[in-house]
Amino acid sequence: MPTRDNNSLNIGQIDWSSVLIYATLVVLGWVNIYSVAHDGGTTGGILDFGTRYGKQAVWIGICVFTAAAILLIDDKYYHIFAYPAYWAAIALLIAVIFLGTEIKGARAWIFIGGQGVQPAEFAKITTALALARYVGRHGFSPRRMRDVAMAFAIIILPILVIVLQRDAGSAIVYAALLVPLYREGVNGWIFVLIIAAVLLFIFEFLLTPFALLALVVAVCVAGEGLANGRWRTKLIYLAALTLGTIVIYFGAQLFFARNISLFASLLAVTLASIPAAVAYAYRHRLRNVYKYVGLFVFSLIFVSSIDYIFDNVLESHQQERILLLLGIEGDLAGVGYQTNQSKIAIGSGGWFGKGYLEGTQTRFNFVPEQSTDYIFCTVGEEWGFAGSFVVLGLFCLLIVRLMRMAERQTEAFNRIYIHGLAAMFLLHVIINIGMTVGLMPVIGITLPLFSYGGSSLLAFSILFFIAIKLGAAKRDR
Amino acid sequence: MLSRASILYILVAVAFMVLAVRLFYIQVVDPQYERSANNNVLRHEVLYPARGEVYDRNGEFLVQNREVYDLMVTPRDVKPFDTLMMCSIIGVTKEQLVTAMDRARRFSTRRASVAFEMLPKEAKLKIEERGFPGFHTVYRTIRSYPRNVGGNLLGYVGKVRPIDMERDEFYRATDYIGLSGVERAYERVLRGEKGVRISLVDVHGIVQGSYADGAFDTLPVPGTAITTTIDLRLQLLAEELLAGKVGSVVAIEPATGEILVMASSPTYDPNDMVGREIGRNFVRLRDNPRAPLLNRAVQSHYPPGSTFKMVNALIALEEGVLTPTRRYECHGSYTVGRSNVRCRPHYSPVDLNYAIQTSCNTYFCIVFRNILDNRRYANVKEGFATWAAHVGSFGFGRRLGSDFLDERAGNLPSVAGYDREYRGQWNSMTVLTLAIGQDKMEASPLQLANFTAILANRGFYHIPHIVRRIHDRDSIDARFYERHYPTIDPRHYEPVIEGMWRMVNESGGTAYSYRLPGLDMCGKTGTAENPRGKDHSTFVCFAPRHSPQIAVSVYIEHGGFGSALAMPIASLLVEQYLTGKVEREWMVDMVKNTPIPYPVYDNRRQ
Repeated sequence: MPTRDNNSLNIGQIDWSSVLIYATLVVLGWVNIYSVAHDGGTTGGILDFGTRYGKQAVWIGICVFTAAAILLIDDKYYHIFAYPAYWAAIALLIAVIFLGTEIKGARAWIFIGGQGVQPAEFAKITTALALARYVGRHGFSPRRMRDVAMAFAIIILPILVIVLQRDAGSAIVYAALLVPLYREGVNGWIFVLIIAAVLLFIFEFLLTPFALLALVVAVCVAGEGLANGRWRTKLIYLAALTLGTIVIYFGAQLFFARNISLFASLLAVTLASIPAAVAYAYRHRLRNVYKYVGLFVFSLIFVSSIDYIFDNVLESHQQERILLLLGIEGDLAGVGYQTNQSKIAIGSGGWFGKGYLEGTQTRFNFVPEQSTDYIFCTVGEEWGFAGSFVVLGLFCLLIVRLMRMAERQTEAFNRIYIHGLAAMFLLHVIINIGMTVGLMPVIGITLPLFSYGGSSLLAFSILFFIAIKLGAAKRDR
Repeated sequence: MLSRASILYILVAVAFMVLAVRLFYIQVVDPQYERSANNNVLRHEVLYPARGEVYDRNGEFLVQNREVYDLMVTPRDVKPFDTLMMCSIIGVTKEQLVTAMDRARRFSTRRASVAFEMLPKEAKLKIEERGFPGFHTVYRTIRSYPRNVGGNLLGYVGKVRPIDMERDEFYRATDYIGLSGVERAYERVLRGEKGVRISLVDVHGIVQGSYADGAFDTLPVPGTAITTTIDLRLQLLAEELLAGKVGSVVAIEPATGEILVMASSPTYDPNDMVGREIGRNFVRLRDNPRAPLLNRAVQSHYPPGSTFKMVNALIALEEGVLTPTRRYECHGSYTVGRSNVRCRPHYSPVDLNYAIQTSCNTYFCIVFRNILDNRRYANVKEGFATWAAHVGSFGFGRRLGSDFLDERAGNLPSVAGYDREYRGQWNSMTVLTLAIGQDKMEASPLQLANFTAILANRGFYHIPHIVRRIHDRDSIDARFYERHYPTIDPRHYEPVIEGMWRMVNESGGTAYSYRLPGLDMCGKTGTAENPRGKDHSTFVCFAPRHSPQIAVSVYIEHGGFGSALAMPIASLLVEQYLTGKVEREWMVDMVKNTPIPYPVYDNRRQ
């Protein structure tokens, strides 16, 4: 770390626009929690601490003080304490597995003075800081295998512990920290493989085996063509594959009176063509052809293992959730109930909504987990498309501002941390809102700054104000 | 190549675009979610109107509405309570209460359901006074009959059937509908208009408030009251006289076609078909072999017997094959070949008046054959067709079109029917007993009453009807104002009526014993043979002879001679109607104390 005088806070350097967006989102969140939780004014005032909106108001107050404290703390301490805090958080996460209270199947909560706290939320801060410190250190090379592996390990360790808490939803969010790694120049093929895995996982259930195989072949050939040109060779190759498939398919019927499926025919022809592809690469000295061959083989192996895991490892309710997400099974009374009710609530909002405190689906508890995971339903129902669009826009604006702030940073530590924060915001928003509108599986994570819940609000506030502090510090010089 | 930062910006933009498009689609484009939201949250509660009351022609209540209260229970809100007191208020056993509570709990612990139906107002007041938490009462009205009279006539109200819902979109599954009698015939008038209250319910189905402050709610409109043509005191007397017998009485005001009495026996207490015991009572009535749910006045048809002789007399006069003074000889029977119709002893020869007075079978057999074998017609079939057309013009063999929807047509034989039965080989001898209202001829008591009204009117009738005034309308159905004319010239009636007058009022008549001096009644007995048992006793009459005010038809199954039972019943009804009282108590006792065994019905019960 370069030495500089940063003990006093320079108010002028703070990104007040981002803070304003942050404050707007928090206030809007509270307003919507009030709409869900109020019961027509029979209880006390808006600060009745027995109610959710009262509690949330207290948490907002705590966040204000915390934010002030964060802005006043010298930013070098984030750097200094990154590793100790990381390990402390991991220890706490492990402790929760044994000491925590089980809520809805996940052992992710500890109660301090009657107040539930979810350590996984706070571990996001320490993990982001630790990753920033490791990747941001001098001498880190995104091309060195060992460095990249360590960076991945920093992300994966808390994920593993949280999965052990059976809180898969919270664990998924940590994947957001891959984004700063990509930004820092880690080999793109790693991300291609991760994205390919995700897409294959989805298409595995949506397409027939033959269509999936044909798609994979087409993607690999097209990718190779984009990289190397020589389109005529690609066309000849594809024509040969088609011809070979037809010959095997009908040949087996004609000469051996046996039915070989189209899928098996294509697979046989494609596998047989791999030596030809390798020979082609060798002759023209095109080393990247091997990568596409590798991608193809990886896809084959990956899909087979999903098949195996889905049928033999996953529990039936997990299978149901996946199938439901992909629109394959529509069980509206069971697993799909939440998603359906949530879509109904949002979908009935129309252009401008039913008006504040007038949302019928919201008020009468048709949507479960109203004030936490499904808080966006209230926005959708009571404020309509206009209100939803504004909230969506505020989140988008906040994330883009954070990313631009990250890009302005000259110090890798700051850049990595702020990119990680922006990515976590993004993932939370996409998964949460995506879930309420039926685009994403039912994964129990919060809408940042919006959802009811002290842990989530405080954790994101700390994350955010550290970023603001780091961003402000940069301009000092 | 794009920088990695640019790729990240693009990813963010794409992700938010996808969300925004999706939101736009489900919120603005696709209307199904709004519909589902309304289904979720809006509950349309039907508010039932009170059905219209039914009065007799003098403004006395036949059918009223009674307020009852359904006791609702919300199991979750129930606190421990004094079960014994509750049981004594409602009038149930503790076991029944426990069963009802269990049933409610199975339905829902949060939502109210019916524990006990149709409690009287006193029970409701007591329950409210004691204040049982978790219980409340819901008001509604049911039918109530201040006088136990006219069960089949008034009909009953029951739960709507699937077929009713198909026919009329008005009905929903839990509605009630008039299922027989007046309730059915005037359902559209009596039912009123349902109201609706739209409330908002939460996910548990608990009402949270009214929708749009009741802007879309409507109040129920009570059904319209009806004044019927029934004379309550006459109806009560008729049912009293019919008690213990199987048969029916219909009385019509000839000038208007208004039905003064329509009694069918056995009958039932209409109060049995409302309230908590309706199911059990219905089964009991349905399984009774004497079929108390059958309105015999319109749904049964019998051989009219000798009361049919006036029809043949009128047709013969119209066809010109008879004059009132033409005499035929009778020697105790009408015998041609192997056919033999016996007659009772009386003077001979007989003219028209005397033939009706003594009910001479021989005379009418000759007359009937003269009609069919009239030289004017090419053959007997043509003659028969002419005869049948005349008979049909009196309303026989078809539904009269009264307001009883379950009215039956009876039977008027046709050429085609006899051709089928006798393979074309038949003549006037084959169908001879049609002359005296037997063979295939069958008529309902309503048709016989209507025929009597035609005689009283000397040649026209109004379709018999039960409704005199619908309270929100100026008139009843137009068809009841129309006069219908049978194909007989009015001048032919008087000789026939003279015979009927003599039957009642001269010592040679079969009905002489039950005449009432001063009533000036014209009538005709009938003793109808039937294959099932003892003869049916029937009698038709009208009075007074000039400007008649009432026409009566009485039909007592297996009652023996027409003069034995049907005649005194009709006579008493006429007395009651014309003088306002019954002075011949001995006759009432005689009718009531004449038991008739009904092996046909009662031996069927095993």
